[in-house]
Amino acid sequence: MLKKTTIDKLPELAAALMEKGTLVAPVKEDAGFNFREITDAKQVDLIFHNTIISPKSAFFPQVEDFVRYQTGKSILEAAPVELNLKPTFLFGVRPCDVKSFQIMDIHFSGTGVVDPYWQKRREATTIFGFAFDMNEAADAAEFYHTLGIGAADPEGSDIFMVRKDDILMLKVITPKGEKLMTGLSFLTDASADEIKYFDDYITKGYDYKTCYTCVDTEAIAREFEAIFDNADFWTKISDACLSCGVCTFVCPTCYCFDICDETLFSQGTRRRVWDACMFTDFTLEASGHNPRTKVYQRLRQKVCHKYSYHIRKYGVISCVGCGRCTRYCPVNIDIFSIVEEAVKAKWYKRL
Amino acid sequence: MTENNPYIPMPVEISKVIDEVDSHDIKTFRFTFLNKEDEENFKYLPGQFAELSIYGKGESPIGIASSPTQAGYVEFTVQRAGTIVPGLVTAALHDMDEGGKIGLRGPLGHSWPIEFLEKKDIVVVGGGFAFTTLRSLINFMLHEDNRSRFGEITVIYGARTPGLLLYKDELAQWEKRDDIKTVITVDKGDDTWTGRQGFVPAVCREVAPSPKNTVAVICGPPIMIKFTLPVFFELGFSKENILTSLEMRMKCGIGKCGRCNVGYKYVCSDGPVFSLAQLEELPRDF
Amino acid sequence: MTISFKQIEEKLKTEAKRLLESGQASVVLAYGKGYDEKHPMPYVARNPSDVANIVFNEYCNYNMARYLVRYPAGTKIAVAVKAADSRAVIQLIQEEKVKREDLVLLGIPVYGMKNPKTQEIIDGKTTGGLYNPVLYDILLGDEVHGQAIQSPYDVLAAYELMDKEARFAFWKKEFDKCIRCYACRKACPMCYCDPCFIDQNKPKWGDKSPQSHGNLMYHLTRFHHLAGRCIDCGECSRACPVDIPLYLFHKKVAKECEEMFGQAAGMSIEDKPALVNFRVDDSDKILE
Repeated sequence: MLKKTTIDKLPELAAALMEKGTLVAPVKEDAGFNFREITDAKQVDLIFHNTIISPKSAFFPQVEDFVRYQTGKSILEAAPVELNLKPTFLFGVRPCDVKSFQIMDIHFSGTGVVDPYWQKRREATTIFGFAFDMNEAADAAEFYHTLGIGAADPEGSDIFMVRKDDILMLKVITPKGEKLMTGLSFLTDASADEIKYFDDYITKGYDYKTCYTCVDTEAIAREFEAIFDNADFWTKISDACLSCGVCTFVCPTCYCFDICDETLFSQGTRRRVWDACMFTDFTLEASGHNPRTKVYQRLRQKVCHKYSYHIRKYGVISCVGCGRCTRYCPVNIDIFSIVEEAVKAKWYKRL
Repeated sequence: MTENNPYIPMPVEISKVIDEVDSHDIKTFRFTFLNKEDEENFKYLPGQFAELSIYGKGESPIGIASSPTQAGYVEFTVQRAGTIVPGLVTAALHDMDEGGKIGLRGPLGHSWPIEFLEKKDIVVVGGGFAFTTLRSLINFMLHEDNRSRFGEITVIYGARTPGLLLYKDELAQWEKRDDIKTVITVDKGDDTWTGRQGFVPAVCREVAPSPKNTVAVICGPPIMIKFTLPVFFELGFSKENILTSLEMRMKCGIGKCGRCNVGYKYVCSDGPVFSLAQLEELPRDF
Repeated sequence: MTISFKQIEEKLKTEAKRLLESGQASVVLAYGKGYDEKHPMPYVARNPSDVANIVFNEYCNYNMARYLVRYPAGTKIAVAVKAADSRAVIQLIQEEKVKREDLVLLGIPVYGMKNPKTQEIIDGKTTGGLYNPVLYDILLGDEVHGQAIQSPYDVLAAYELMDKEARFAFWKKEFDKCIRCYACRKACPMCYCDPCFIDQNKPKWGDKSPQSHGNLMYHLTRFHHLAGRCIDCGECSRACPVDIPLYLFHKKVAKECEEMFGQAAGMSIEDKPALVNFRVDDSDKILE
């Protein structure tokens, strides 16, 4: 089922979704775009490349409140914070970011103990994927094509969208998407030409080249294991690194968090808050021992986690090539060039 | 969000506090569950840990010191932590008395591999404060329902001074039993000490049993581990038969928060118990 | 006159090579290639063969003085410094974090540096309005003369027109954007505390979650920790992924300090940090 509307009617579509629940969509802000809960249908803006912060925050917000407590009172009076989720529509997610949800699913709900917050937020949400504009060149920091993700890859979306000039085409991908789409009666049917354009666009997306090509993830994982103890290599790689948290906070697949008790006067909340392996105190133990005191040890952890440990543990690379870490790094560290250095161009060739 | 939520602690009450050492900074806390169903759900084995949770202070992962054979309560031996990193939870707990209520999340992590230990001789080696989950294991094995499942049991336990030995009453009881060989040593004795003096590695060399069908379970400060492991190598123990428990900074305890990884393993959910063979496959990042 | 970036790059390479070969420096902190021309990186040359990777262009804004404290005391370091960067070195010397005799300062006289995100010329706005390094051992080009002198405080004009309430509203709005990635403190050459106050848990000065009061606590405290110490390189603002104009506050505090104590940060090795040095004739304006 391929439906369509026009870009100027976007507020109408937004309003219809807001009526059904919570709409989270790209909004233009001072420094660029970000996904925000929409309060005014006119805020939704699809003329963007990608957001600063990844849409993981829809399922794994930077702050998730667990429990409210009062200091000086018994634990029996502490109250878990209920989620009370309305149906949520995550609108305009780029294909590489949609892929990140599947990678995070494995960690949060697919293996071991299920994280109820991730799972409940995920279940409540319908994802509107949105193809990259292939008329513009890929950003120099992006490499999703390397990881087998198409610029118009509908996998993982419930509804997938392609923009053609001022027309927005929407295709149902999952039953969840279908259920929603049938309720959006003002969308019209696409023409045969448009259906062909849509299908061709998706196919073409797999050939849309970003920075690199050809990667053997298993080989990369092995290569990083082999150079773990090469302190010279890691020192050189991290010479520029400031050890700040930008790369991890903008990343769609970074999931580290801290559990903090934050009290203001006597009112407190136990909450989880994003944390970053790049922070000095991340692994500082109560004994004073810290296995990662040096910048290179922390950057090594970050890179090896994504390109080696995650593959060994879950079978998939913990990266979707969205390029955010590179784009927002204050000192322009290009994460994939570290991979490139590490495997010495053995497993892929730079285009 | 209470149901099946691994982040919400269950309420427990302190029913007993034991001041363990003469420096008064290590106490054993006995907790009873305030909800009957929590007690039933809290099924654990020696070697596992739990998060002690005090709202406003935070959480602290601590090994379970009691044995599951001790029904009706669960015990933790807690050191008041941190001159370098102030330990808010342990300090608050140390200031609490019987009747105080805190939260408990667990049991977490993997236990000592009980099935693997069955039908084998066991040598338990502990140093200082890191004896807690070993005490759990010893009491578990010594229980009348379990004793026949295991072969000879040797315990080698050392502390810096006699006053720093944990569980003094139990040590005395074990010494009286003939189904366990108990060797207690201190680095330096005092006027009243009539027992052994000497470092754990040296004592191990002297009293450790033959490696044949024997598993060594070792916990202690890094310096003790460092010098004890070579002794067991020399005695002929295989890497698969040397077990230890790792410590890393933890938060969630369930393999989600990403803090305690060593290579691709999370110490909280894949450990904390590892054999030396498993550890050697991991990068030296702890 | 116009700046020849290529010429500075060549001189930087030549001097770096000479210093490494002669053993006068064991590391040279300079700039290197990034993933494209607009995105060069801080670069550390350790061997003469490394210098081939050194670049210099209008996007090399990094304040390499930020990396000095990473090396063990006594390491012989050559460091490329633009005007503001040289002030950071001076300030670090004043604060006894580095020793003058361990450093070779490769001064870069330059203007026309650009913010790669906005393509905007940053000279007056987020670097101190100076074109020549305040202190150097080797100058990689001719001193800049004849350029319009810009006050580093001109950009405060609009800000200073705001009243107290408007300023608070302004900063509240800006700090609400903060995601607490700490890029600002990590990019700052003067933020070398370990642990930083905000990471301490006893006493706990501020929450970790990026909410209003914690953000306010973090930024306001950091601003004040940098009072009389900020050398106006603007790196905090450029590092910020959500474009909080941190430089405005730093400049405002720097201006007040300069007026009160007659001393700008990092202008002379002989100075003592303004807020550390008590003088009988100090202004009492701070108490008003």
